Amino acid sequence: MMVEDVFSSKGRVKILRLLVEIGELNISEIARRAGLNYATANQHLGTLESAGLILHKSFGRIRIYRLNENSPHARAVKGLIEGWEQRLGEK
Amino acid sequence: MSTYFTVFTDESKLDINYIPTRLSHRESQFNLLTKFFQFAVESPGKMAQRVLIVGNVGTGKTALAKLFGLKIMQTAQEKGINLRYVHVNCRERRGSLFMILQQAILEFYPNFPKRGYSSEELLGMLLQVLDEQNVCVILGLDELEALLKSEGADALYKLTRIHEGRLKEPQRLSIIGILRNLECLKALDESTRSTLQQNIIFLEEYSKSQLRDILSTRVTLAFRLGAVLEETLDQIAHLAEKEGGNARYGIELLWRAGKYADASNLHEVPPECVRRASSNVYPTVQKDAVLSLGLHEKLFLLGLARRLKHTTQAYLTMGEAEEAYRIVCEECGEKPRRHTQLWKYVNNLSSADVVESKVSSDGLRGKTTLIGLPYVSAEELERELSRGLGLQ
Repeated sequence: MMVEDVFSSKGRVKILRLLVEIGELNISEIARRAGLNYATANQHLGTLESAGLILHKSFGRIRIYRLNENSPHARAVKGLIEGWEQRLGEK
Repeated sequence: MSTYFTVFTDESKLDINYIPTRLSHRESQFNLLTKFFQFAVESPGKMAQRVLIVGNVGTGKTALAKLFGLKIMQTAQEKGINLRYVHVNCRERRGSLFMILQQAILEFYPNFPKRGYSSEELLGMLLQVLDEQNVCVILGLDELEALLKSEGADALYKLTRIHEGRLKEPQRLSIIGILRNLECLKALDESTRSTLQQNIIFLEEYSKSQLRDILSTRVTLAFRLGAVLEETLDQIAHLAEKEGGNARYGIELLWRAGKYADASNLHEVPPECVRRASSNVYPTVQKDAVLSLGLHEKLFLLGLARRLKHTTQAYLTMGEAEEAYRIVCEECGEKPRRHTQLWKYVNNLSSADVVESKVSSDGLRGKTTLIGLPYVSAEELERELSRGLGLQ
């Protein structure tokens, strides 16, 4: 997946930011906090997971997503978001 | 600016949630508990334990369990063992197995979804979480009576038999049940009862000299040197002994007496402050129950107390109680809950013995729920609730 494919969607960026800030979340909570509907959130999560940026764990019917710390791309995204937020805080 | 003098040095040492580093007069019970769980730091996962701690209010059950939990986690950490003690108050969790298990899971996944599964599924998820994190848990179930009352024997059966289908897998969940007496276990089936009743630690009521000793330790931690007179300590120990050897009552009385001394600008806490405080401390059982209520339950109770204070009736009808509640909601700027929710609150409050509810009999037209406060004075309750809700 190309970098523009990841960042071209506001929904995906919101999801990544949530996972960087909070750590682990289930789909409904991700959808609620990102202001997306369940199906859209699920679709974005699928895209991000297939790009290797996030991972999920299943507990029965519940899926909990988190950033894939083993992926250099995910770590780069995390660094970018954290740095960005820090700058915003300084302003 | 006038300077404010206080007899306290650290009030937090008298707080209900403060756990002392050593429990006076409970050493043998602490050692017994440690022996029961020795396997957890020597061969973790090899077995699971079930222990009951039984004793009256204020005999140190909760403190014993929590202190044990802290110490065993320390020992486990030193040995590089992944062991957690999770303390859950069943009454605060409405006696629901679902909410109890959920609190245990939230220790590991703080953002775990709050709904969307059953308690049976949750039990499986808890084991999955423990396996995944390779951790053993000692689950302290405080006020176990609430779980049994609300869910019956099944809940405890499931908890005690959680490992049965997991042959050759590590046994990760041990249980410490904390309860006032063994009466409620009579409702359990023979097999669950026998599983539970193998290891029981009884906590006797404290004697006057033991209470004095405990209070004296707290005085050293919480008050200025010499601020609490010997006579004052004797008096509090005597009152706490009369209250059923209740150390918590004694500590609460000590704190209140200190507050009265502060309010009167005294540099010492004389027995007179204890006399004034003792007429204002209301039973610890109800205090616990009231503290664990939700906002709207507290508002409902406040409306009830206010209305009952100004009437000679022993009970209010549900309609009168709802009206009083709506007035309190208006005062607090809260949107009032509807009838069905309030009716659920009444059932909860009634099962926690905070209020008494009954169905109206002859003399009233139709049928309604009657609600009264037989266990505590309406004025006392109103004062406590108003203070807690910041309305004073």
